[in-house]
Amino acid sequence: MNGLTDIFVRSVFIDNMIFAYFLGMCSYLAVSKNVKTAFGLGIAVTFVLAVTVPVNYLIDKYLLREGALTWINPDFANVDLSFLSLIVFIAVIAGIVQLLEMVIEKFTPVLYQALGIFLPLIAVNCAILGCSLFMQEKNFPTVAHSFSYALGSGVGWLLAIVAFAAIRERLKYSDIPKGLQGNGIAYIITGLLGIGFMAFLGI
Amino acid sequence: MAAGMKSFSNKYIFFYITVLVVAVVALLTVVTLGLKPRQTANRTADKAMQILHAAGYQDVTSDKAVALFSRVAEKKTGEREVYGIRCADGSPGVVMRVDGKGLWGAIWGYVVLDGERSPVKGVVFSHRSGTPGLGANIAEENFTSRFVGKKLYDANGNFTSVRVLQKGKSPDVALDNRVDAISGATLTSKGVDKMLQQLNNEGK
Amino acid sequence: MKLPLGPLSKDNPILVQVLGVCSALAVTAQLKPAVVMALSVTVVCAFSNLIISLIRNTIPPRIRIIVQLLVVSTLVIVVDQFLQAYVYEVSKMLSVFVGLIITNCIIMGRLEAFALSHEPLPSFMDGMMNGLGYGLVLAIVGCLRELLGSGTLWNHPVIPSSLYAAGYLNNGLMILPPMALILVGSLIWILNSKKSKAK
Repeated sequence: MNGLTDIFVRSVFIDNMIFAYFLGMCSYLAVSKNVKTAFGLGIAVTFVLAVTVPVNYLIDKYLLREGALTWINPDFANVDLSFLSLIVFIAVIAGIVQLLEMVIEKFTPVLYQALGIFLPLIAVNCAILGCSLFMQEKNFPTVAHSFSYALGSGVGWLLAIVAFAAIRERLKYSDIPKGLQGNGIAYIITGLLGIGFMAFLGI
Repeated sequence: MAAGMKSFSNKYIFFYITVLVVAVVALLTVVTLGLKPRQTANRTADKAMQILHAAGYQDVTSDKAVALFSRVAEKKTGEREVYGIRCADGSPGVVMRVDGKGLWGAIWGYVVLDGERSPVKGVVFSHRSGTPGLGANIAEENFTSRFVGKKLYDANGNFTSVRVLQKGKSPDVALDNRVDAISGATLTSKGVDKMLQQLNNEGK
Repeated sequence: MKLPLGPLSKDNPILVQVLGVCSALAVTAQLKPAVVMALSVTVVCAFSNLIISLIRNTIPPRIRIIVQLLVVSTLVIVVDQFLQAYVYEVSKMLSVFVGLIITNCIIMGRLEAFALSHEPLPSFMDGMMNGLGYGLVLAIVGCLRELLGSGTLWNHPVIPSSLYAAGYLNNGLMILPPMALILVGSLIWILNSKKSKAK
């Protein structure tokens, strides 16, 4: 079990989606004007990651990877469909997001009100596709590992956007040089936060 | 979107997307199959280059690597990947492949020895995730060069492997049998440490 | 035809429209991967704009996002395969970031905003210019980070050894990921200040 916690902690703090890989920056910069919406988007991203990454893991393991099709017929051992993985992953993500939207709307209207507006944004969030691609590259042994990784990445992303939104709320009251206002300072703050997160490197 | 506001029947949409998907898959299959030989050749050359670097051939370019490799190295029979190789300085050596697990995914390396029970001539390490993961720079020379001249056996001839340990820890391991771990990459360093233990069965 | 040069300076997609930062900056620790990445994005952006513009009147609006995704991801896979076949070293460094071009907001953004409503040739130029504008930022950041962080450019040492002897040190901080963001922030600052002066 230790491996699972390792992966979780590592993906939250050290290989943070935003601070180490800059994934999902577009929505990170756009939806961080206040803490509440930032939190909502963060939860939505975590949720979608936790669903899509394990699904993509199974698809990769049993359909796409070289030799993955042997469970149908041993003759397929040399079939390598991994060149299709990009298309399949993005299709799976778009499909699942759509599905989630419908399911949530039907069964939990409260949650839908909170997350609904974010879900369409998410299909094209680089963090989601990125997480699936990293998962494929990291070659996890079981689906539980991929889930732990997805959850960790999601929580890391959430943490980053909430921290950033909190700083941005305060920023309104600071005296920033004119040319730097807006996006300029946003990038620099993210960079500084990233340097702060590097302190976790030692764990 | 003003021009595209015509309405389309469901039948059309279905037909459209089917045609598109078929076209895309066909195109991709052609491209992948067409480029595959080149890609495979690249991978072979890359591997040959890694081993040659460990054996001291410094300025090998990828286009010459395969030819040079087949001239100086020869795979030994057996399940594991072990090669006999003529090193850059002319001495005969043995290359052994080691496999392990870093924090993220697989790591592997090639260890070159001068001969049985002799000091390490050179090592190369590599890792699958080519992503700029922090602290995973085991492939860099500043780490691999620490292994040169280290010994897999202690003064009494017992196998100790080359341990990757934090500076100052376990002082009972002799300097000849240890290298310093990468600070900030504890788990990956441990992975390398564990990986090198495999040499116990092969260094003989 | 007049070239739409805006994206190279005052309408730069990264600096002004804040598009496409996601997949880009992680590959800017060195100049070479940054340039290859920039070229890949330019190719994908230009050709997806061209293709979508060519078929724009046949696309049912309801599924246009899916059609766009399909076209873009196909192009990305083709580019990725070519990189693996012809510049293997660099493709190893770029790894999954080539795949992430799909979700690059510049590309989808230009498809929606331009290619769907314009003729093929202007769309192609628009895609290319936006790709190049993006590439310019990547190249500048990559250049600064490699020069200051490793003392090399395109893997060739450029800082004279006499300087090192005089006590000059490479700034290791530059190689770390956060510096890319801080550099982009500074570029935005410079651009904005120039703009307000011009007014």
